[in-house]
Amino acid sequence: MARSVVEREQQHCRSSTASNEGDASSAPPSFLCVESSLGARGGKWLIGHSARAVWPVVESEQQGWCRLGVAAVPSCRRLVEGRMSSVFCNMDMDIQGVENEAFGFLVKQGAEARVFKSTFVGHLSIVKERFSKKYRHPLLDSKLTVKRLNMEVRCMTKARRLGVPTPVLYAVDPILHTLTFEYVDGLSVKEILLDFGLNGIVEEQLDDIAIQIGTAMGKMHDGGLIHGDLTTSNMIIRGETNQLVLIDFGLSFTSTLPEDKAVDLYVLERALLSMHSSCGNVMEKILSAYRKSSKQWSSTMNKLAQVRQRGRKRTMVG
Amino acid sequence: MKEFQVNGTTSLSLALFTDVTNSRLVNNFFLLIARQLLDSVQTGKLEPEVALLNASLVPDVFPVLAAAHKALLSKSRESLTTRTLHSELIYNYSGSKHISESLKRCGISDDTTYVLAARFAASQDEMKDVAELINGKEVDLAELETKANLTHILKHYKITPEELAISSLSDAIVCRIAARDAL
Repeated sequence: MARSVVEREQQHCRSSTASNEGDASSAPPSFLCVESSLGARGGKWLIGHSARAVWPVVESEQQGWCRLGVAAVPSCRRLVEGRMSSVFCNMDMDIQGVENEAFGFLVKQGAEARVFKSTFVGHLSIVKERFSKKYRHPLLDSKLTVKRLNMEVRCMTKARRLGVPTPVLYAVDPILHTLTFEYVDGLSVKEILLDFGLNGIVEEQLDDIAIQIGTAMGKMHDGGLIHGDLTTSNMIIRGETNQLVLIDFGLSFTSTLPEDKAVDLYVLERALLSMHSSCGNVMEKILSAYRKSSKQWSSTMNKLAQVRQRGRKRTMVG
Repeated sequence: MKEFQVNGTTSLSLALFTDVTNSRLVNNFFLLIARQLLDSVQTGKLEPEVALLNASLVPDVFPVLAAAHKALLSKSRESLTTRTLHSELIYNYSGSKHISESLKRCGISDDTTYVLAARFAASQDEMKDVAELINGKEVDLAELETKANLTHILKHYKITPEELAISSLSDAIVCRIAARDAL
């Protein structure tokens, strides 16, 4: 299977750029921006939601071919190590170079923000830039962006105070709309669970992860903090300590209502069901850990049962 | 004495002193400078500048560097909150918005014996001047961790035991320094 993905990739690249081969051999770039073009399932894992990724070029070969160091992209390192060591790509393909030298090189791009890998006084760091939306009035845009930036910082530091591990915040820049975080080295829970789906479940590790998720959410909800975007890709298992780190507090807010907590849990449940149904009932393990760590678990659980019946949105009739 | 690169262009030199006997004098000296500051700004020559931190609140160099990074950034945008770059370093390190309280707690007072001197873009000679000014024994920066006053730090930065269980002390301080303006 490993071979076939690479070969498909090569074929794709060759066929898509066969017309203008030859003029790419001069001055190979050090970074390439590659549009998602891997084979069906491989592409989905490797590049995820964002359609493109910037990869450093490890070596370049003749006739415009170069090998990209996919292992340098943290979120897909494991999958790549397991299946292929490099992806071949023609240098003609949409070369953009480094997107933004000020922030380091692009790791991921979403609808609200871009994430760069960089360094901060000698430490590896992640820079999250909330870019401006050109369709909004500039004044409104900057006000909204700064407000969301501050909200994210507040929620993240609050989570830390409650004892939920989050990346260390290194700097906040309200002018450039950036946050600088610690670079957490490890795999996301999503990658680990997908790996379980492919190569069989490691029962101990799965239990450990589920307990950590449940405890963290219990602590957060008891402190009145709702994450708002609990998915498995927003959780990272720190490589050296196996500690669960929650990331992306961009949608979080403070609330003590059981309704909000139940919806938070429900979002995670749906995410687990849709992505990781092959891992068995992870949610059951998470909820049992949640019940142990949260003092107000019973009202949340009752609400969760209601939310399950009607879905995330409340009907506002009558 | 050790030099750290804070951003691409500017460095921060740090030196740690124990058994400092002349804090009072140094303090007065700086008061004197402060009075002369207006004159010297007008004549265009500034007195040698240095930030003196109460080192018992410093468990590691990294929070100081983060504060320095922040100070340099606001300097480059000409949006310093305090009068000078060096006082901005102390103010940033405190993680609070109260300037005079910050300088009182994180700066040195008359009876401080344990001092961390920090100076931006300093040459070897300039750091020697600083060492001469401070009447104490210079020790290695690695001592910071062992000599820090844990109870004072926890109280000053309001660090809960829950937070300490999941992160190191210096990381918790860095978070507070970075998040101050957003709170």
